[in-house]
Amino acid sequence: MKIKKATSTIIFEIITYGLLAIGSLVCVFPFIIILSGSFTDNVTILTEGYSILPRNFTLSAYETIFRAPKDILQAYKMTLYYTVVGTAIGLIMITLTGYVISRREFKYRNQVSFLIYFTSIFGGGMIPWYLMYANVLNLKGSTFAIWFPALMSPFLIILMRTFIVGSVPEAITESAKIDGAGHFTIFAKIVMPVLGPGLATVGLFLALGYWNDWYRSSMFSTNSETWELQFYLYDLLNATTALKQMSQGTSISTAQLPTESVKLAMAVVATGPVLLLYPFVQKYFVSGITVGAVKG
Amino acid sequence: MEKSIKLLPRCNAILDKKLAGRKTGVFITAVVSLINIILSLPFFAWINVVNIPTLFPKLNITKDMATKLFQSYSIFNLLSFVQESNQGTIGLYAMILLVIMAAALYFNAAYLVKVVFNLKGSKGNLSLYATGRTAMFFEVILSLATFGYVIFSNGKFGMRGFQASPIVYIVTVLSLLSYLAVKIMEAEERKIYKEHGILKEVRKNWVLFVMLIPTFIYFMINNYLPMIGVYYAFTNFNFRDGLWASPFIGFKNFEFLIKADLFRLTRNTILYNLVFIGLGNILQIIFAILVSQVTVKWFKKTTQTLMFMPYFVSFVILKVLVYNIFEYQYGLINNIVTSMGGDRIDFYNTPSYWPVLITLFYLWKNIGYGMVVYLATIMGIDSEYYEAARVDGANIFQQIWYITLPLVKPTFIILLLYALGSIMKGQFELFYQMIGNNGVLYNITDIFDTYVYRITMTQPLSIGLGTAAGLYQSLFGFIIVVLVNFLVKRKNPEYALF
Repeated sequence: MKIKKATSTIIFEIITYGLLAIGSLVCVFPFIIILSGSFTDNVTILTEGYSILPRNFTLSAYETIFRAPKDILQAYKMTLYYTVVGTAIGLIMITLTGYVISRREFKYRNQVSFLIYFTSIFGGGMIPWYLMYANVLNLKGSTFAIWFPALMSPFLIILMRTFIVGSVPEAITESAKIDGAGHFTIFAKIVMPVLGPGLATVGLFLALGYWNDWYRSSMFSTNSETWELQFYLYDLLNATTALKQMSQGTSISTAQLPTESVKLAMAVVATGPVLLLYPFVQKYFVSGITVGAVKG
Repeated sequence: MEKSIKLLPRCNAILDKKLAGRKTGVFITAVVSLINIILSLPFFAWINVVNIPTLFPKLNITKDMATKLFQSYSIFNLLSFVQESNQGTIGLYAMILLVIMAAALYFNAAYLVKVVFNLKGSKGNLSLYATGRTAMFFEVILSLATFGYVIFSNGKFGMRGFQASPIVYIVTVLSLLSYLAVKIMEAEERKIYKEHGILKEVRKNWVLFVMLIPTFIYFMINNYLPMIGVYYAFTNFNFRDGLWASPFIGFKNFEFLIKADLFRLTRNTILYNLVFIGLGNILQIIFAILVSQVTVKWFKKTTQTLMFMPYFVSFVILKVLVYNIFEYQYGLINNIVTSMGGDRIDFYNTPSYWPVLITLFYLWKNIGYGMVVYLATIMGIDSEYYEAARVDGANIFQQIWYITLPLVKPTFIILLLYALGSIMKGQFELFYQMIGNNGVLYNITDIFDTYVYRITMTQPLSIGLGTAAGLYQSLFGFIIVVLVNFLVKRKNPEYALF
């Protein structure tokens, strides 16, 4: 028997494909503008404005960046450093905590979970937090103040606990305990080996957070050598806007400022790694969000 | 503890004696609780000010100020002494005393209620004893801290100016004895339920405690210790006195906020979040349903990937985008407008555009993220429902309306409640990167987080004001979470947050 498609189904399919195509286009559109702008000659941008396809195609913006790459390379290096150190240490701490609060025999697991969760519903606010690092611990200007505050979050700890509970059956750890295995042995030999997806998911959330951060540099950096990449970009944008406004009507030359197309090329260079890796790691974020939404 | 039970057999016997079906010890300690509560009332002085003729000149207290000061203080009005005598240095300590007293009062009252109404938990009287023990613990800490306060401030002023009143001695002795009594009764009860205390737990699972040490340090530094800093909200910061010694001014910062910015900030924060939650969830559901209906595999994958992409870029890149699209001279929109012969639009100086733009870019960044959750729910629906509906002749719109939407509803409600719980938390990075320091737009785009951030970075003299705004935001948000959670718990305990 051949089933003929109902008219309503056909209408629906047209709507579906149409809307999804529009939605996807809207989502990528801004990226295209940036990308095309970075390949456009600066004079063209100033005279004709931005466009979807590059007019007067040129690589000069990228050449400008890589001719004097010292600053951006430094920012890249620092961001890589923060991302690697923060993700590694954070992952270890989150996994250990997730393990402890998933243990049934640990009498205070609910109290510990609550104390962790409580930090997400009440806090002292931004100023006491800032002054804790800047004045009490006197960490202003150190790199520690940039990676330390983002090591853990209640969401990621609870996510990790869910992964551990889901991938390590209680019976296995129980029998290991009867065989005389201690907690460190159980953790290293039984839990860690099967925790791959959980580690990848939580690790990627951490790494993305570090890569995209600009805020902690804006608060704690005293020296542009310790700047994160995104803050370097942010500072560049602000400096040029401010200088442009100041130079209007005066004789200050704006020739030395990064041009519009250079700024866009910077944005491409700063986001590039994330967007290149994104298709390969997307599934981990999807699993993290799905698991996290159940209880988080 | 077990040794002490052997050492005090008679004491134990008295505590154990039944009175109206319950242990005498419970009644005795409950009476102590009641006494503690009564002695905590503002009529009872805990600290006396002595040697006034030498003390006041030393503190630079003028005659005018002295008329507002008393000779004895309860913990409640101790702060008024700090304020009227302009002694910021002892303000934080007085505030901590007040907080400990609040905790002690709460647990004492809880203990009384539990005793009077004979409330029992799943393990007999263990929760009752835990409450009693905590109450007495805080009471002992409170009285010891009061002695500490006297010693501290006397040391600070270099003379004997303060004295603990006899009430503090009474409270210390009574609470200490009751603490021991509850401990003894608890030890008995623990044997019945094979429970153990924290010391035995540490001995048994010390590895787990070791594993928690880094986490403990992290949350102390990053979250719990900064909470002490809410004290700044009650001070008027100046550089000469520093953070902890600046004059204590009570609720003046809050009064100023109410007069100036509080209403605007609350309105902006809540309204934006409501729009984000409402529109966001609706669009996420719509797109999740659409994606789930696509049968062409590559199309499904590509659309999902593309719509999720904005989530991965930083807000600084978002700023670049916004700037390049809406800029006055070269911006894309103005480019199109002028090429069609229209006048340039000055987005960055016209506040009325920004609520719409901020919402649009919020949606742009978050549609893909939320869609994932709904898509997982829809994919989890049994396909038999749809087959049965098709056999009955339901068209695709009817299938969505009568099957998909009702089954997505529980997820929707959970996400909605979570979101409502954090309605006082602003999307700081979004707002700050889109608006920045553009004062023209503040009235309609300023939220708590951007307001406090500006104070932190540029106006150190307003630290008190900024902390007050942050504290208000935190407390308001906290109350909303607790309320939402209470409602959820009554309706469906499984979805409760805590």
